Amino acid sequence: MKDLITRLAQEIAPSGSERALMLQWMQELKAVADETLVDTLGNGIATKRGEGPHIMLAAHADEPGVMVIDIDADGFLRVIAMGSLEPAELVSRQVEFTNGVRGVIGLEDGVKLADASLNHLYVDIGANSREDAEKRIQIGLGGVVVQPLYELAGNRLAGRALDNRVGCAIAIAAFRELAAACRHVTLALTAQNAVGGRGARTAAYQINPDLALIIDAAPASDVPSGKATALSLGKGPAIKIMDGTAIVPLAVKDHLIAAAGTLGMDVQYEVWPGGKSDAGAVQLSVDGINIGGVSYPARYVGATQTVVDLADVENALKLVLEAAKTYEVR
Amino acid sequence: MAGYKHLETLRELVTLHGGPGFEHQVRDRIRTAFSEYTTDLRVDTLGNLIGVVAGEGEGPRPRILLSAHMDEIALVVSRIEAGGFLRVVQTGGFDPRTLVGQEVYVHTKEGRYLGIVGSKPPHLTAPEERTKAAPLEELFIDIARPESSVRKLVQIGDRVTLARDVYSLQNDRLAGKSLDNRTSVAIILETLEVLKKLRHTADVYVVASVQEEIGVRGAATVGYGVNPDIAIAIDVTFGDFPGQAADEGFELDGGPAISYGPNLHMKVFRHLTAIADREGIPYQVELSQGPVGADARAFQIARAGIATALVGIPLRYMHTSVETGAYRDIVACGRLLAQYIADVDAATVEDLSCY
Amino acid sequence: MLLKRLSEAMGPSGFEDEIRNVIREEVTPLVQDIRTDVLGNLLVKHGVDKPGPRVMLDAHMDEVGLMIVQVCENGRENGLLKFRALGGIDPRVLVSKPVFIGEARIPGVIGAKPIHLQAASERRKPLAMDQLYIDIGARDAKEARSLVKPGDVAIFATQFGEIGEGAIKGKSFDDRLGCALLIEALRESYDLPLFGAFTVQEEIGLRGAQAAAYGINPDIAIALEGTVCFDVVGAPSHGQSTVMGAGPALTVQDGQTIADRRFLDFMIHVAEKHDIPYQLRRVKGGSNDFGAIHKVRAGVIGGGISVPVRYIHAPAQVASLDDFNNSLLLVKAVLREIEQGGFSL
Repeated sequence: MKDLITRLAQEIAPSGSERALMLQWMQELKAVADETLVDTLGNGIATKRGEGPHIMLAAHADEPGVMVIDIDADGFLRVIAMGSLEPAELVSRQVEFTNGVRGVIGLEDGVKLADASLNHLYVDIGANSREDAEKRIQIGLGGVVVQPLYELAGNRLAGRALDNRVGCAIAIAAFRELAAACRHVTLALTAQNAVGGRGARTAAYQINPDLALIIDAAPASDVPSGKATALSLGKGPAIKIMDGTAIVPLAVKDHLIAAAGTLGMDVQYEVWPGGKSDAGAVQLSVDGINIGGVSYPARYVGATQTVVDLADVENALKLVLEAAKTYEVR
Repeated sequence: MAGYKHLETLRELVTLHGGPGFEHQVRDRIRTAFSEYTTDLRVDTLGNLIGVVAGEGEGPRPRILLSAHMDEIALVVSRIEAGGFLRVVQTGGFDPRTLVGQEVYVHTKEGRYLGIVGSKPPHLTAPEERTKAAPLEELFIDIARPESSVRKLVQIGDRVTLARDVYSLQNDRLAGKSLDNRTSVAIILETLEVLKKLRHTADVYVVASVQEEIGVRGAATVGYGVNPDIAIAIDVTFGDFPGQAADEGFELDGGPAISYGPNLHMKVFRHLTAIADREGIPYQVELSQGPVGADARAFQIARAGIATALVGIPLRYMHTSVETGAYRDIVACGRLLAQYIADVDAATVEDLSCY
Repeated sequence: MLLKRLSEAMGPSGFEDEIRNVIREEVTPLVQDIRTDVLGNLLVKHGVDKPGPRVMLDAHMDEVGLMIVQVCENGRENGLLKFRALGGIDPRVLVSKPVFIGEARIPGVIGAKPIHLQAASERRKPLAMDQLYIDIGARDAKEARSLVKPGDVAIFATQFGEIGEGAIKGKSFDDRLGCALLIEALRESYDLPLFGAFTVQEEIGLRGAQAAAYGINPDIAIALEGTVCFDVVGAPSHGQSTVMGAGPALTVQDGQTIADRRFLDFMIHVAEKHDIPYQLRRVKGGSNDFGAIHKVRAGVIGGGISVPVRYIHAPAQVASLDDFNNSLLLVKAVLREIEQGGFSL
């Protein structure tokens, strides 16, 4: 699992720039899937037809990032945030664009960081004129704030894009196992979550499963003054009760709790009104889709790097598998 | 307050509990009430209750959907603090100032427990503190049990609803919790009661919808699923009260408010007001300039679009535990909708796409 | 003149009757099939039934406007009208502007206390919409009510005209310029299934386009728009969004869309091939109908072609005729290239 996460987390795929990563993964999953496609919005969708109810495993593949929106006469770039990135997260950091070009984010002279908006930031890619910059950069190009991936003590990982490549890893691993077990399952690595669940909406419309399990990060608040949720790292995966986009049907929530009980696994409960998962976009597709959520606790969700506990991740995978295998359409 | 067919049903409904995504108790009671008029009842994936009252004649018949959301604003336990005090988040918009000192029910797997939203005694409150209203994050619920017992009984994610009896005020007015929007469920029932005695060609889909308070979510899927020709959302509006703008308050006992604006189909609006005029039913016109905060918002843009209307009674003190409305308005609205339904035919529907 | 007719027609969001009739009159002779849907979108079919991409061109008919919500009765307010905005209007542009109310186009003015009577501190504060009134000259509420009723809508009374060198001024260029582009594009025939959608209620949440796109179910959609342009004194490069005269603006992202790079590159390629100037819209936020269209059903590929408009959403807007003409060239060239299989899905 760690290798899979590491591999996924190294890819750069800010919202709207997921296609290359999806093409690569759908190619790889061709061996185990009946059908794969990368759809209009950039979702990677792999389906295996088999026994049992049709289960959709949804994990967003995008990460918050920046997009070049202007190049000035001196070759400095202006960027906007794709998803929520605060200026304080960006200043003096390096940005890497999807074409490999790097730059440093600067703050206009005389502006206090506390008062800064994205309008006050610029990116220096070492160009000395607009023409020079245009050789390497185009308006609309996406990028991310560089943060290396590290292993911390205690079986924990820290780095960029763990939210939600960890979820992608869980979903891919679960898909492989369910496909091998001849279950009817569809993997949806969704695009454009950070800008409002756009990919999940069109993916769910095409897939229309009996049950969709949304796999995403939820903020662990076991940090100084942590308040966003009641979740801790290392205390098990979180069963989603509600987030800002959806309330999980009681029957699905109870099914997940029962699955955890069967496994004798400790779980936590996610109540996160600020959360912007794909759950709502999937739930409200067509005439309504049954959803559930399995989240892995992650510290610093929303920042440019997060910390996860690999034991939680392993258990989240087990919980997803158990819940998927035992689900029955009522 | 005698002689109203569904008054007792409504009094019961407003003492039942059902937050967004937690509507089963209310739904069961409404199912019983609907079953007096139809046996064709189903529940969709999100939990919307859908009943069909068939019209007369050979098809295709016009299809009219009436929706009243059955959820009420509610709270969800988000943390259990030292001492066994509960922190909550909201599903639906509360004014936290109205919660202080409020009795609530915490709905757990083991059953329902009464709790109090705690407040600091004035003796301990500094003068400067009294001028500040506490936000929801600072409020807590006390179920008066030791922490160990609370942790056994209560789970994060348990729902919390307001505890409030229903009161009969003067002039057939009712006060209590969740009149938003159980009064509109009563309107559906009164509509069906009148409709029994009328002939209608339209198939009527009566819907008790879910999760309106957190963004008209049930309406989005029921609009897509039923895809009617006409969808009429029934929801409460603001009762007149000092300090409100002239176009934002409506008289209690002044009849239902019929909404007008971009979200509402002009021909359905005109048809409704024409029927009210014909039948001598009092009504008020509510103006809107954009998408409305009711199921109609989602209905209008479901699939390739649905002709949508919004009607409902005025309610004072909305989103508190003493919401106050007039049963006479409910009866008037029921008459209006029944007479409207009886007046809709295939030509009416065809005309809706002619501009 | 088409642009003048379109610009001066009335059609705030949800009240598009007059502009819809104008457009219907213009396009009926040009297309095979024309209808309205239940929301009031005007939908036309043009071109041939054949396999291949179903292309939808979109332009919204509605404009920002005002709705009268109260005829005042008491004291010194007697006979004045209170109003609210339909769509996004900055209240600061309203003071001292003439308006037309309702189908009868009753003239009125938006009044404010004379500068002489305002304290210096007052003058620096913008007037909020609920401090403003429309005055139609009525002596009292009774007279006002005989002419105007709550629910009537109002538009700016701006006349369309030419201004400066090769520029035009008028109201509601957002999106009557897009409507004009769509009408002009329909004057030619194309060897593909082409659908035109003149939509309602864009300004209050892209609502008409969502339903229209679901109904049409296109493979490719292009929204034709008037878009933000602020290439004026004091605006830095990244605060301009677009430059007037620099050609049609293509979107890389806005509040509702991240451009599909494949289609964006295709449009750029077409512009370069045909020597049509173009620019990229350089601003965060804003949106057009494509934001709703691309999320319909399983997703729709496409983008937007926009004419830069200075002072968008204000009473008097300015645009360049060159930009308009080049936008039209680009729209037609894009259709021709799609027709010839230049863009594969």
